[in-house]
Amino acid sequence: MSPLLELRGLTRSYGSLTAVDGVDLTIARGERHALIGPNGAGKSTLFATVAGTLRASSGSVLLSGRDVTSLPEADRARRGMVRTYQHSSLFLGCSVLDNVALAVQRVHRVTHRFDRAARRFKHTEAEARRHLDSVGLSGRAQDKVAALSHGERRQLEVAMVLATEPALVMFDEPTAGMSAAETERFVTLMERLPEDLTVLIVEHDLEVVFRLADLVTVLHLGKVLASGPPEAIRADDAVQRAYLGSARTEDLFTDAGGPR
Amino acid sequence: MKAEAEEIRGGTPALKDSIPVVDTPAVGGADHPRRRRAVVTVGVVALLAAAPLVLAPYPVSAMTRMLAFAVLVIGVDLLTGVTGLPSLGQAAYFGAGAYTAVLVGIHITADALVQALAGLVMGLVTAAVTGWVAVRARGIVFLMLTLAIGESVHQVADTWSVVGGSNGLAGMPPISLFGGPSLLAAGFVYWWVLAVAVLVFAAVALVARSPYGRTLRGIRDNEARMRALGYRPALARYGVFCLAGAVAGIGGALWAQQARFFSPGDMAFEVAALALLSVVIGGAGSLWGPCLGAALVLLVRDNLSASIGGHGPLVLGVVFVAVVFLMPRGLAGLTGGRLRVVTRARRRKENPS
Repeated sequence: MSPLLELRGLTRSYGSLTAVDGVDLTIARGERHALIGPNGAGKSTLFATVAGTLRASSGSVLLSGRDVTSLPEADRARRGMVRTYQHSSLFLGCSVLDNVALAVQRVHRVTHRFDRAARRFKHTEAEARRHLDSVGLSGRAQDKVAALSHGERRQLEVAMVLATEPALVMFDEPTAGMSAAETERFVTLMERLPEDLTVLIVEHDLEVVFRLADLVTVLHLGKVLASGPPEAIRADDAVQRAYLGSARTEDLFTDAGGPR
Repeated sequence: MKAEAEEIRGGTPALKDSIPVVDTPAVGGADHPRRRRAVVTVGVVALLAAAPLVLAPYPVSAMTRMLAFAVLVIGVDLLTGVTGLPSLGQAAYFGAGAYTAVLVGIHITADALVQALAGLVMGLVTAAVTGWVAVRARGIVFLMLTLAIGESVHQVADTWSVVGGSNGLAGMPPISLFGGPSLLAAGFVYWWVLAVAVLVFAAVALVARSPYGRTLRGIRDNEARMRALGYRPALARYGVFCLAGAVAGIGGALWAQQARFFSPGDMAFEVAALALLSVVIGGAGSLWGPCLGAALVLLVRDNLSASIGGHGPLVLGVVFVAVVFLMPRGLAGLTGGRLRVVTRARRRKENPS
């Protein structure tokens, strides 16, 4: 069986700056794959290029063996490849239920129906409520998103993404700006994701990464520095060198015996 | 939330230990305001329908104009309030519908229904032809493109002899309904216009509440995210533009039917600007608010202006500034329901759980 996601020499340049430089990456079905790297390593650019928000300068993106490099973001999403944003990106003027229902009604192919009120599409409404329920937001269905806290908005994002019935979900720094308690709740939520779902996650918090990921890829200056299981990455010399000077990560690596 | 990992749910991806859907109390509780809203709606329509029985012909024809203008405003609100596309070009489709109704009235039939449907179709077609350029843009560029469309169509009406050029088209016979006698009394025309306006209101309200309306609100709030969810927003935007054009076309037909005359002045920039102003004053996104706004705007322009030395535009300007600063949600923001929502949201923001 072909891997779910395959990147072949993926490159993205901004003028003379090559933010993502010939990245090869393979992600199998059901894998939890984390993408880490120091600031400016090209993680977010790689992410956006894979999702289709940005166009690749060269190289290709294959989803289940099919080349999707030339497809716009919406078409990739329809094929089951969905992303979240680094900063919560929701429909602030709409109710919490509407946010999830927007995802559900696209899957149910009723986005352009106006022959009945939305609440009369019982199947869509029930499915949206089920997803809200599963992230613990059912009590807030009728509230405006603008009234939700940061952590609740992240929970809503997860519900929305799952409601699109994806094969691959890409989380862009989901725990950024969260309190410790919110992070804990979020990681718990992630651990409960269905096992057949493939997850690619960009994350700064290495504790979160090592808890969630089966495989870790380290990006440095736009290139893949190392890729492997968390333990191997933790011990990798090149990774430690790349991280030197980044105070936060340095602390985390010292107990693995890294140079000070 | 508890962290127990349980059985995987088969099929659709949802979290493993999600609880089965329960009907939240909100579902049952939502029925009550819905019934109250229905009672209010019936009451307002009944009051409006009773107006010709107690009012003199002149105020009745003034109210007819307000209703026809309100139909145009409902279309503008669908674009501006629901979809987030502020438009200054809707007068073009209003004019297209009006001229079509007058021409049908003069040359083909006095049947009001046929005229209104012809106006609808012409508004729809004109919007479909001109709209595909406009919907590619957003924000200020969209506003300017619709302005350009409005001015171009106005220019055509002003110079084209078939529609009477700058003199406009006069001599439209009075309307009739279903082969009956001509409706000469102001009250009968009013009832016809009221019936159509209520129908349009109901239809647009249905669109706003439908899944399509939800799609449009999603586009208004966050178009990039819509694409990330797999939507193609351009198509939905084009659709609503055509829909708003059709609504404006009906409004134009109704306007022409009560005036039995239409000239380029009735579809000038001022009309489009006043329609947008009505939406802002009434509260973008709400439907009945902008209708009230439409009535207020026409009242000031046509009825009040003469008695205050022609300073109507000044009054409208002051009202606009006052609304922007004092009532950011417009007239629609003044209802108890909205206020409750706002205060509840504010309370939540102060002490987030």
